[in-house]
Amino acid sequence: MPAAIEVRQLSKDFGSVRAVDDLSFEVVSGRVTGFLGPNGSGKTTTLRILLGLVSSSAGTATFGGRRYTELAHPARHVGAVLEAVSFHPSRRAEDHLKSVAIGAGIPIGRVDETLDLVGLGDVARRRVGKFSMGMRQRLQLATSLLGDPEILILDEPSNGLDPQGIQWLRTFIRHQASVGHAVLVSSHLLSEMEETVDDVVIVSHGRLVLQTTLAELAGQAGTRTGLRIRSPELPRLMPLLQAIPVAYRQVAQDTLVIDGATPEWFGPFAAQNQIVLYELVHERGSLEEVFLSLTHGFDAADPRGVGGQPAPAGYAPAGPGPSRMPGGGA
Amino acid sequence: MIAIIRSEWLKMRTTAVPWVMTGIALVINGLLILVYFVNHGSGGGGGGGGSSDVNTFGVPDYPHTTRQLRNLLGSGFTGYLLALLVGVLCITTEFRHKTVTTTLLVTPRRGQFVAGKLITSALLGAALAVIMLVATLVGGGLTLSAQGGSFADLLRQVPAVAPGMILVFALFAILGVGVGSLLTNQVAAIIVALGWFIIVESILVGLVNGAEKWVPTGAAIAASNLTRGMGSRFGLFNWWEGGLLILGYGLFFAVVGSLVLTRRDIT
Repeated sequence: MPAAIEVRQLSKDFGSVRAVDDLSFEVVSGRVTGFLGPNGSGKTTTLRILLGLVSSSAGTATFGGRRYTELAHPARHVGAVLEAVSFHPSRRAEDHLKSVAIGAGIPIGRVDETLDLVGLGDVARRRVGKFSMGMRQRLQLATSLLGDPEILILDEPSNGLDPQGIQWLRTFIRHQASVGHAVLVSSHLLSEMEETVDDVVIVSHGRLVLQTTLAELAGQAGTRTGLRIRSPELPRLMPLLQAIPVAYRQVAQDTLVIDGATPEWFGPFAAQNQIVLYELVHERGSLEEVFLSLTHGFDAADPRGVGGQPAPAGYAPAGPGPSRMPGGGA
Repeated sequence: MIAIIRSEWLKMRTTAVPWVMTGIALVINGLLILVYFVNHGSGGGGGGGGSSDVNTFGVPDYPHTTRQLRNLLGSGFTGYLLALLVGVLCITTEFRHKTVTTTLLVTPRRGQFVAGKLITSALLGAALAVIMLVATLVGGGLTLSAQGGSFADLLRQVPAVAPGMILVFALFAILGVGVGSLLTNQVAAIIVALGWFIIVESILVGLVNGAEKWVPTGAAIAASNLTRGMGSRFGLFNWWEGGLLILGYGLFFAVVGSLVLTRRDIT
């Protein structure tokens, strides 16, 4: 089956900043592809290039071989929910959808159908200015579904949704794939996507880190280990770890995780340096940790690369460079 | 393209813009008719007492010559600035409220996007002219009849005045879209557009000899077929030359604007 979405050697420069860097990946029909990467990794830019809103500096982004701007009735083939999109506050929800339906040559009857589908049927006549963030997100989703498109592009779609809304969205996305549609959904959290996606495209700094299936990624996670350390002496411990160096992440004020380390290595190391420990947990890596180490470890701009330095005994490096994520949640 | 225009019209009529503009137009129109009659009465030579329709020289005190009647019918002509604003708002509102992304997802080719705005705004501008003409016929006609003038005489001037006024309004709406496509910041576009017509143009006309013929206002007055006291004083273009000139200005801005828009990243 030909790819529904094909991104080939795509690059985009904003002035001197390279937002997307030689990125290539494919999205196939009948599957949900998670487009994952930290904030600022070029996901939104890539999606906007796909949709003809942003020009590319090099490379192509096409739907079945054709650019979005070359599609005869783009809104009937591709539906998109993007960030930083809004509505005219004094326009009623149904009028917004009608204007899109008329412009795209979609039967007006779809307006009520999609409003009911996203659960906005009761507020169809309300002005969008009075809508909550979650309602706006639902209205955007309704807009993208008007033309019953076979390709859906969703940029951080769960933003602003309540837990029920997120659960509904998951079911909805799975349903889209089950009827043979291609879904590309971006997120900066893999954990949020674990139950939804079949394939993952992981990007960092505009570059492709990995395109694989979720199953394969989960397999990797099972073999990964990390050491969770709680200590009042992190300010003293961290420079010591950097000097070795090893990859670690600070996950709380007094807690950090060292990728790939074992208690057999760290215990004596802490004793030798007289570091007080409150907690020492050897844990199996989760998908999220694999994702974090993949995206952060890929940070080539990090000057403290470990290349060439011997790893300490008992320490198996998780990524090519040490990484820190101060204050980041696990 | 018809689908795009229908969509644009739906978008416009579900905002306050056309209704507020029509309201302002009608209020201004009423005031201009009032001003016209007041000026006419005081400048009419002696009479103005209110009770008599004919002054001491036997000349009717109400508008009765062809030129007077045409100028009365064209009272709302200044409303072309509102048509300009309709054009500016039609496109800049999309950027102000970030609705442009949705619009471009439906109409991804930027030239088509701008063309849809041009045509819709031109139709709205023309409609505004028609509304003002009808309002003048009603308001001005009633006042004229009350003073003893002939409504039929006023009506007879419609073929001479209406086409030029409708044309000018439509062309100024196009000019507005052109300006708005270049300056997508709504406030900046409004300031530049109105600033030009209220300030810059009069300075230009005062400083450069013969500029009045070439500035949009001069072209508009030429195209309107109204004398407005200016036509005879400065050698303005004739109506179709004036019309072409405004159309040229409008399309120039629109073409440059869509070229700039085509290159612009919508982030």
